[in-house]
Amino acid sequence: MKNIVLICAAGMSTSLLVTKMQKAAVEMNYECKIAAYALAEVANVIPTADIVLLGPQVRFNLAKLRIAYPNKIIDTIEMRMYGTMNGAGVMEVVKKAIGE
Amino acid sequence: MVPALWKLSRKPSVNNMEGMEMICFSIISACGTARSMYIEAIQEAKLGDIEAARTMIKEAQQVFVEGHHAHAELIMKEANGEKTEIGLLLIHAEDQLMSAEAFGILSEEFVDMYERFGK
Repeated sequence: MKNIVLICAAGMSTSLLVTKMQKAAVEMNYECKIAAYALAEVANVIPTADIVLLGPQVRFNLAKLRIAYPNKIIDTIEMRMYGTMNGAGVMEVVKKAIGE
Repeated sequence: MVPALWKLSRKPSVNNMEGMEMICFSIISACGTARSMYIEAIQEAKLGDIEAARTMIKEAQQVFVEGHHAHAELIMKEANGEKTEIGLLLIHAEDQLMSAEAFGILSEEFVDMYERFGK
């Protein structure tokens, strides 16, 4: 089961996106665990993650995180997808990035 | 059963919660993106590319305006007597907006400073 980690400033707004993504994942028949965390928790949650997605508010950390975790898939959530809470769209991105 | 009083007093102004959620999310995503771009601009300047930093700030300002418009829409509704339901998500959205605004002002100062250091 894939472990999808979403990171934003407080882990609050992104948790709403998580709900939408979970719904989309069920519809796609895609087994995964999706959770949102605050940026402060990054070090604790990255080791077990299959993919890490950064919200637009924290995307300036992308370069730093990619250097710190070179073997992890780390990407950002596109602003429009985030703004419209497009759970299905983000799930498509995840599947593509993981390579399924 | 009689519904709790606080539930009766919470009449959402934007017809449904979904609509309010959408407005908050567009503020958070636009202002959040702008905030990230302002910081990325400072990072560019730190690396010595002042030109790229200034371009990034200009782009960020365009993105910020989108979030600002969504927020202004709510303010206008309230000015017309249509009460806005205040939730944690809206507070968070305003927090992001203010933070982006501050970063925008400071990023220009930082880029100027890095430019002067580089001379």
